[in-house]
Amino acid sequence: MRRLLACALMLFAFAGAAGAAENGTTSLYNLEAPLRGQDAREIGLDVYRGHPVMITMFYGSCPMACPLIIDTMRAIERDLDARQRADLRVLMVSIDPRRDTPRALAELAKTRRIDTTRWTLAQADEATVRKLAATLGIQYRELPSGEFSHASIITVLDGRGELLGQSTELGRADPKLLEVLRQAGHLK
Amino acid sequence: MLNSQWFWKCVYGIAVAIVATAALAAPPDKEAVLQAELPGGKFETVLPPAPAVKTTRVAPFRLDRSLVTNAQFARFVKAHPEWRRERVARLFADDKYLSHWNAAGEPAGALARQPVTHVSWFAANAYCEARGARLPGWYEWEFAAAASDRAPDARNDPAWRQQILDWYSRSARGSLPPAGASPANYYGVRDLHGVAWEWVEDAGSMLVSDDGREQGDGSNRFCGVGAATFEQKENYAMLMRIAMLSSMKAAYTSSSMSFRCASGERP
Amino acid sequence: MNKWLVIVMAALLASCGQAPESNVATPDTGGSRKGDFGPPQGEPIHAVLTSPPQVPAATNRKTPAKVIVELEVIEVDREIAEGVTYTFWTFGGTVPGSFIRVRQGDTVEFHLKNHPNSKMPHNIDLHGVTGPGGGAASSFTAPGHRTQFTFKALNQGIYVYHCATAPVGMHVANGMYGLILVEPPEGLPPVDAEYYVMQGDFYTVGKYREKGHQAFDMQKAIDEHATYVLFNGSESALTGPNALKAKTNQNVRLFVGNGGPNLVSSFHVIGEIFDRVQYEGGTKVQENVQTTLIPPGGAAIVEFHTEVPGNYVLVDHAIFRAFNKGALALLEVQGEPRPDIYSGKQVDEMYVGDKLVSTAPVGAAFKSRQAGTLTQAQQIQAGEVLFKGTCSACHQESGQGIPGVFPPLAKSDYLMADHKRAIGIVLNGLTGKVKVNGVDYDSVMPPMSQLNDDEIANILTFALNSWGNENGVVTAAQVKEVRATTKRAEGAAH
Repeated sequence: MRRLLACALMLFAFAGAAGAAENGTTSLYNLEAPLRGQDAREIGLDVYRGHPVMITMFYGSCPMACPLIIDTMRAIERDLDARQRADLRVLMVSIDPRRDTPRALAELAKTRRIDTTRWTLAQADEATVRKLAATLGIQYRELPSGEFSHASIITVLDGRGELLGQSTELGRADPKLLEVLRQAGHLK
Repeated sequence: MLNSQWFWKCVYGIAVAIVATAALAAPPDKEAVLQAELPGGKFETVLPPAPAVKTTRVAPFRLDRSLVTNAQFARFVKAHPEWRRERVARLFADDKYLSHWNAAGEPAGALARQPVTHVSWFAANAYCEARGARLPGWYEWEFAAAASDRAPDARNDPAWRQQILDWYSRSARGSLPPAGASPANYYGVRDLHGVAWEWVEDAGSMLVSDDGREQGDGSNRFCGVGAATFEQKENYAMLMRIAMLSSMKAAYTSSSMSFRCASGERP
Repeated sequence: MNKWLVIVMAALLASCGQAPESNVATPDTGGSRKGDFGPPQGEPIHAVLTSPPQVPAATNRKTPAKVIVELEVIEVDREIAEGVTYTFWTFGGTVPGSFIRVRQGDTVEFHLKNHPNSKMPHNIDLHGVTGPGGGAASSFTAPGHRTQFTFKALNQGIYVYHCATAPVGMHVANGMYGLILVEPPEGLPPVDAEYYVMQGDFYTVGKYREKGHQAFDMQKAIDEHATYVLFNGSESALTGPNALKAKTNQNVRLFVGNGGPNLVSSFHVIGEIFDRVQYEGGTKVQENVQTTLIPPGGAAIVEFHTEVPGNYVLVDHAIFRAFNKGALALLEVQGEPRPDIYSGKQVDEMYVGDKLVSTAPVGAAFKSRQAGTLTQAQQIQAGEVLFKGTCSACHQESGQGIPGVFPPLAKSDYLMADHKRAIGIVLNGLTGKVKVNGVDYDSVMPPMSQLNDDEIANILTFALNSWGNENGVVTAAQVKEVRATTKRAEGAAH
């Protein structure tokens, strides 16, 4: 009986190790990125592992492009069928951790009527923001005025964190991303 | 009792013991030897922080006196095996990562003392973090690099500029000198010129156009401002550093790209 | 009205409407609006690129195709002049870069690779591209990486391409330019020989022909103070054994570009007239042109028919560039003489003497002097080559000078009497009265201080040992001393 237990334990260990090594060598989930969601919960970058994810970076006091990013991602969601929409998740990480605290993010989610069952607004420390931006290819720089100059890029990851597509189009659903999302729905 | 001689000798003895223990217990401050202190201050930069703003303010910071060597990086890789050449995730380094080390994955011979190259931004970042430090920001690097051996800001000295441009006139094929071989500049920092390119923390955010002639574009490519315009266009030595950094993605490595670490409040 | 008056008036009116035959204008091609011939047809073609001075064969296509172009950026150490090396940044390993030939309406898939040994990132702007930056914004390539973009060649013509990475001037000055030909849909009329020539100006820290490895001089480039002006990136690129070749009774076409970065070219072929010039590289043609202007970042197509055999010299007719900065190239035309067209002997040997003769003795003498093994014979050999290129224009190859104008060097009492004075004259020039062999001369000899110490020493040693002059040696050290202790003429090189 003890041997059986030991065997089972070893199997579990293997599965655990295999699970950790499950990240393909190009998966974004290789990045250790401690985040804090708008509900102040501590989460990892792979909070939505197993689901296709739209991931982007923004900042709360951004006057123009960031509301536009939210609208764009909503437009993309609308163009999917109900099942795909239910499976899709959205992760928005702020580049302004000083001002975008979990409380501020919760406020923003309320104002913009964001569906927090499938969307997360997150805060990360400056070092993590740098690294995440580097993996997504998002350039940003704080201006003396306190505003940020930043690129707006929506990235689609599959359930394993592999990058499926990126788009800089704002204002409407990029057909390229729609195509990629429809196919991603079949991958876990 | 206070008049007693040996009471005071005792107190004296205890005091000496306390001081000696404190001195022995505290490890020698290696960081102070490894790094130079730079005062920072108001600084005219080639990369304007906002349109038509030519100066920025650099807070005081510490900067490694010379580039990180292959041997130092090898010690880091040993302690952090996820950064070994055959184990590193492709997300963090391309397939030329540490390709100049030998088959056993070590820097042999003269390589050990040379500045480490073929490292990506992620790898450089991880090394500095493991040391409790960080990569320097572009403005910090530019601030340190503006100095010659005798002046804090030599950028208007044509002889100093030509010396730097001479490095670009030599091909990249020769081997690097040992780290720290070049003369110390005004701040006591070496190897800033004439040796290798260097990663900076905001390398991925130079916000410049890929076409070197664009004078900032009016498009919304970057929310907030268009692409940055260079100031001091005759300061070619600095412009080329920015051009090189902006051509590299964070996972890219290059035979001429090395790095050093900085400490202090994040710029 | 008078009948005759009517007839005369009618004749006059009729002649107004008639255009003389030679003035038939080339019809407009319609530019990019009419340049899109639809999607590519057939299998994709891998473009064959050539190194200068060769040009790829005509595409001979009637329909638009997809053409795949692969071009690699390599940083190369090469000679820019005898004994002088420079680090060039090149497209395809050469200056100018590889020649690209496509047809109007082609869809070009452009792959730019940057060799891992490159120190710098690079990109490309092709003037034949319609699109932002001419491709530069889409081809920024880090060392060891490659990028790709696709464009449709909507306009026919001969276009410059160059690197546009900051600082652009420096990338161009280091040789990063070339030509791309977008053929008209009907192709260019066939000719017997096509060649690729591109002018560029170069800026080095050292003086013209100062030996050793030279670095780029930014200040000189900003001041537009060129050290070298060259065809195809080196003094010997198209001279001596590398001269272009043709035969008599051939139609020769030259694709001539100007990479700059700064100087406009006044392109001329000594001894030939351009029968046809597509000036500015455009579609319209001018005929019977002696010298055509090619701006930096521009190109032209010149054509001429050869009749007389001989050596034809391509120059930038801003003439000091040709003789003091290297803007010379050679076209050797072989065939039967045509005394009915030109009776004289071969084109001016003394004009370009040192370009027909190998300059190897000059470099060899320099190396020997450095090694301490220089012999008088070596000096004389090197000095002869240099004399032919620089001094014989006035003093003649025979050393006789021109009576009443330029004094002789042959058996010259003035020369033999004082070697140190001779050095000073070569360095600083001489104005005013001198008496040589009993004859008065009152002329102007310009300073030759652009020659270095070895060159002056060798020229004078050659002069002291030629045409019956007894003997004598002048050393580089002696020249150095005179250079240090005398003042340069104003405006002369130091």
